[in-house]
Amino acid sequence: MFESLHQSAFIQDVIIFAKPALFNLYFALASIPAGFPFAVLLALGKASPNKWLALLSRGYIYAFRGSPLFIQFFMCYSIMLAMNQSLWKPWGIDHIVLHPLFLGPFVLVLNTSAYAAELFYGALKTVPKGEVEAAQAYGMSRWNVFRSVTWPHMLRLAWPAYSNEMVFLFHATTLVYFTLPVINEQKDLMNKATDLFERDYNVFLHFGVAALYFLLISILIFWVAGLIQKHLNSHITGDKVRLSFKPRYLR
Amino acid sequence: MLEFLIAQIGQWLGEDIGASLAYISNGKHLAWYASVRYTLIAAVGGATCAVLFGLLGAALKQSSFLPFKWLGDFYTTIVRGVPDVLFILFFPLAFEKGVEYILAYVKCGAENVAATTGWPPCDAAQWYLSTGDYLVMACVSLGIVYGAFAANVIHGAMMAVSRGQLEAASAYGFTPRQVFWRFKVRQMWAYALPGLSNVWMLLLKATSLLSLLQIADIVQWAGRLGAANYFPRVGLVHPDWRWKYYLVLFLFFILMTMISERFFEALQRRASRGMAITGSN
Repeated sequence: MFESLHQSAFIQDVIIFAKPALFNLYFALASIPAGFPFAVLLALGKASPNKWLALLSRGYIYAFRGSPLFIQFFMCYSIMLAMNQSLWKPWGIDHIVLHPLFLGPFVLVLNTSAYAAELFYGALKTVPKGEVEAAQAYGMSRWNVFRSVTWPHMLRLAWPAYSNEMVFLFHATTLVYFTLPVINEQKDLMNKATDLFERDYNVFLHFGVAALYFLLISILIFWVAGLIQKHLNSHITGDKVRLSFKPRYLR
Repeated sequence: MLEFLIAQIGQWLGEDIGASLAYISNGKHLAWYASVRYTLIAAVGGATCAVLFGLLGAALKQSSFLPFKWLGDFYTTIVRGVPDVLFILFFPLAFEKGVEYILAYVKCGAENVAATTGWPPCDAAQWYLSTGDYLVMACVSLGIVYGAFAANVIHGAMMAVSRGQLEAASAYGFTPRQVFWRFKVRQMWAYALPGLSNVWMLLLKATSLLSLLQIADIVQWAGRLGAANYFPRVGLVHPDWRWKYYLVLFLFFILMTMISERFFEALQRRASRGMAITGSN
């Protein structure tokens, strides 16, 4: 029985797709550690009293939210290529800078931080004024007010939306290899699915298994984000806001 | 006409500007500008399909018949859990293969299909798709994907319509169908528009993916025009200029987003006339 199970096309596909799924996961996981702080900085910049800083952050967020990631990938890659002869080659880092495993997360960071910054900015605006004023009245320094009042509030308020954004980011990783060169066997789920499709035209099987992987990892991301949410809200008694598996639809 | 105009401008502003104007208005560039129509058709067609699928999905989600409700929930959940690129590639391919499969049985005969291992079993079963065909399929698949997003928005908006309005309508003797169409759907728009505007923005950005369906849209043209241009007789016309062309596209989409924002603001003002919600006058 195991023999027949092993030979079924579905199981074969599930096994084949395991490695490509790691590439998608890599792109998402590599973008979050850089994208998260950058997004917080952008949100603080947009809310800052400094006019020029606010304008710059606002413009950046608007531009990267208002244009397709597909174009951003092409644009950044071609700009990087244009700077190759004058900068990257002489410095000897052209292999790193032009590699999809670097450039993919780089563009994803530029993109996701704009979306996340908008979420954090929205959360920043809803931090209760009274608490900030109370902290100031206690004579806390500006940094202390931020660290102990604004930051925890902002993070807690924005977290459900941010977990949604992480899923969008994971889905956006499909575009990396549609725009950047595929090197050898470094292929992601969509590459592999189109490859296998061109071999036997079985669109339902290959795309179906790829979709299954995306669905499962999306649910996994929601689950982990839910655990963090629980931790963030652990001091709140009474009605806890639970993160449901019902995903939000808007980015 | 165009050449004459450019020659005139060149005389006023100097040779260099005249030459670059002539360059960016040559035949290939005009074809690039014209290919914007594919993006616009896909956006408008996709949005129309998305609203239709959205209404259907919302109706399914509200159905009191459980299997329909499950179907609606399944549709919206599965689309949200999977990247849009996958669906935009999947639906046209699945449809194409499905049609070819039927063609093979009708045109080639069942024995032929069984005998051959490769595809297609005979030439008549090959379906060559034109750009127009792909465009229609792109509209439908954009509609299916963003219809799920729209279904959620419309579902929420229908729930937001106050019950008192609907009860008053049925108390006046309107039939349930009239109550649904003339009150619920009519009032729903004011609540749904902010969400739908968001869906439109996502859809507009997704239209940049048309080149994946072999449509020569603005993205593909930008790649072709920007690639290093070398003629044996002339030499290198220009090096790799792709970044300039992609930068133009980047700005084009930001401009489209700005225009859409203005448009939806006006629409919102119109839809919420006479309604007691924030945003109405």
